[in-house]
Amino acid sequence: MESGSRIGPEYATAGDGALSGAFAPAAGFYDEVFEAPGRPRPHAAALVEALDRIGRQRLAAVGERRDAIFVQQGITFDATGTDDPVVDRPFPLDLIPRIIPASEWTSIKRGLAQRLRALNRFIEDVYHDREIVQDGVVPWELIVTRPAFERTAHRIRPPGGVWCHVSGCDLVRGADGGWKVLEDNVRTPSGISYVLENRIAMTRLLPELFAGYRVRPVNDYPQVLLAALRAVAPAVNPTVVVWTPGPANSAYFEHAFLARQMGVELVEASDLVVHDATCYMRTTDGLAQVDAIYRRLDDAFIDPLAFRPDSLLGVPGLMRCYRTGNVALANAVGTGVADDKAVYHYVPEMIQYYLGEQPILENVKTYMLDDPEQREYVFANIERLVVKPTGESGGKGVFIGPTATEEQHEAQIDLVKIAPERWIAQETVALSTVPTVGGDGTLAPRHVDLRPFAVFGDDIKIVPCGLSRVALREGSMIVNSSQGGGSKDTWILEEDGTGEGFPVTDDVYNPPTMPGMRQAGWAEQQRQQQQERSA
Amino acid sequence: MLARIGHDLYWLGRHMVRAEHTARMLDGLFHSDLQARPEDPESVTLSWDSMLVIMGVDVPQTGQPGPARRGDVAARLTLDEETPSSILSCVAVAREGARTLRDTISAEMWEAVNTFHLDLQGRDLSAGLRTGPYSIYSYVKERCGLFWGLTSRTMLKDEARAFLIAGGRIESADMVLRMLRVALPPIREGHEEEAPRRDGNALALLHAVGGFQAFMRSAATPPNADPVARFLIFERSFPDSVAASAESLHDALVNGDANWRESEPILRLARLTADLEFRARAGREALIPAFRLFQHELELVDSEIDERYFSGVVQGAAA
Repeated sequence: MESGSRIGPEYATAGDGALSGAFAPAAGFYDEVFEAPGRPRPHAAALVEALDRIGRQRLAAVGERRDAIFVQQGITFDATGTDDPVVDRPFPLDLIPRIIPASEWTSIKRGLAQRLRALNRFIEDVYHDREIVQDGVVPWELIVTRPAFERTAHRIRPPGGVWCHVSGCDLVRGADGGWKVLEDNVRTPSGISYVLENRIAMTRLLPELFAGYRVRPVNDYPQVLLAALRAVAPAVNPTVVVWTPGPANSAYFEHAFLARQMGVELVEASDLVVHDATCYMRTTDGLAQVDAIYRRLDDAFIDPLAFRPDSLLGVPGLMRCYRTGNVALANAVGTGVADDKAVYHYVPEMIQYYLGEQPILENVKTYMLDDPEQREYVFANIERLVVKPTGESGGKGVFIGPTATEEQHEAQIDLVKIAPERWIAQETVALSTVPTVGGDGTLAPRHVDLRPFAVFGDDIKIVPCGLSRVALREGSMIVNSSQGGGSKDTWILEEDGTGEGFPVTDDVYNPPTMPGMRQAGWAEQQRQQQQERSA
Repeated sequence: MLARIGHDLYWLGRHMVRAEHTARMLDGLFHSDLQARPEDPESVTLSWDSMLVIMGVDVPQTGQPGPARRGDVAARLTLDEETPSSILSCVAVAREGARTLRDTISAEMWEAVNTFHLDLQGRDLSAGLRTGPYSIYSYVKERCGLFWGLTSRTMLKDEARAFLIAGGRIESADMVLRMLRVALPPIREGHEEEAPRRDGNALALLHAVGGFQAFMRSAATPPNADPVARFLIFERSFPDSVAASAESLHDALVNGDANWRESEPILRLARLTADLEFRARAGREALIPAFRLFQHELELVDSEIDERYFSGVVQGAAA
């Protein structure tokens, strides 16, 4: 095989076809690469061919190189698992990319933009006229009991009417291959830094996989974010900062990454100060006014005068400053009410109510446990449902019926009975699978979800990328990185990609040959001698 | 100092910088070329043809029409011994030059260049290019960084060092101007639709000179063609900008010349740096025609350096 021999002698031992031939898709799930054993889907054929050329041994070797590079570059995170917390673990990037064809992406993009527009209208409404409550679409008791509902945000109108500047919804794909929304994240969704770093790592580790694909680049996200932050800032030439809780935060890497990519300061609470309802940062040149803050901490901690008085991470007086409109906060205070898991249930109705449109992306079927009828149904069917606490994020406290024992079912039912309004139940989604590399270089199906990132400034922009999180344990459907999940580089393909470059050489300027040494005497002789030796 | 030694130091500096710039350019281009056009703004990144044009290498006659292939160009500019501006050739020439300078440069510098060369010769570069060019280019960047780091730590700050630095700086200014002129051609009349494409090129260019982060920190604008060009020409706080290079070149020559007030290249450089400063303040008019002027001035500086400092060497060789 001609192409196989070009890879080089050390890899020629890898059996051709071994990888894809040995791969068995998991029964009952939608595999995104193989439609049947040994038969790749059309858009994945080139990828499978390239993988077979690379072979098992080299994949395993590349995996080791990847870990070394990630540790060296400090692309790590801390897993706060319940049993064994680990520190500075290399972010587990799986080497097989996930491919999303352009047409699928187009509908995801439209669906997300629609959803986000509705969520934004909802937040605005909740803190102003509450029309959606008066019209009986969403019950007021539900909204006020959400932990993320902030009375302090009442009647505040953030610049441009934009509340959730940065969002990342979690999408999943069921057994029929259709996309559904599993969760909305409109507080501080993380993971975009891994999307960018994953792409860089993949172009470095396995560039040959890209052959035959036109993959949308992902690296303009920081520019899009910066433009949005500048657009909402109440100043002509605004100063933007990223506010991190501090280096001990598990997403600190991402905070630093975004600040670096946007070329703005990464600040902590002690760097910020409020005087006369104006926010400043302390610099070597004295105080400098801050106009927009991309904050990566929850509402409860940002201002001890307005929220939790015990917060050491907050800036006293910030809320007053925000209320007067002297500083923009992204995301706005109080947006959390929209990503509560109980509010999630109403999003399709919100889309119809505010936009008069049919939802493009469906919800996963959800049961509200404060409703007695639905509660009874859930208790009776708990062995096939997922039960989630409404106010939590990051997969904390999620109960998965199918994998739990009968005793655990009982315990969960008791837990729900104490405070049913704090829980919801959902139908289990048979998450789609993508082949994933094991430690020995073989492929096995693993479940994935997708988190695309949207930025809302002047308008909604959805960067053609997404964090594909993958459950690395066999059969597991928990993809959260804090619970041992990994990630995949996600390729959004360009439609009608021709692969042609821009003809920059049009007889405009042709530089002369690079100047060489003019002195051709003994140095040239030496060079000739040396070439004779090597010849 | 002997004219011959000065000449070899000057070219040692040039070749080390040329190897590093080429590696950065290839790495940046390789990364962006694997991916498609960005969605927004719609734009294209630098092509492989333009890479050959930047380096002044003839486009090979492969018999196949169409744009140059990535593999061919990368191989040509990385490991082709016949292409004088390939990384391999640059390092080989630098090492040969350093051999005759072993009493002038520090032993550590010599070792850095020598192991760099031997290691490149010993590696299977063509296999590396196929499986992971990044590792080759990051190695080249590292070794070049090591060389200049050792220069600043271990070499006497004498006239010898002045010529080494001068060579490095003029090469850097020349490379950046070459890249700018190829990547950001003037918008032709009636072709205003090319503007977004130039913006895409500008971003690729920033990555290719390793100046992305510096740009983002210094400029409060998106990396579009005009601000990037201004940054790479005028921003004196960015070490590889034309203005910074011209200034360090000027300072290096002043250190290396006892009668520097009479030196034509130094006078010319003083005028050029002042001119750059004036134009930086003048606003955005006519930036691109100025590229040609700057490059022409640098060519004159280069030939005047030859004449004033190395003339005996060059004539001797010609005789």
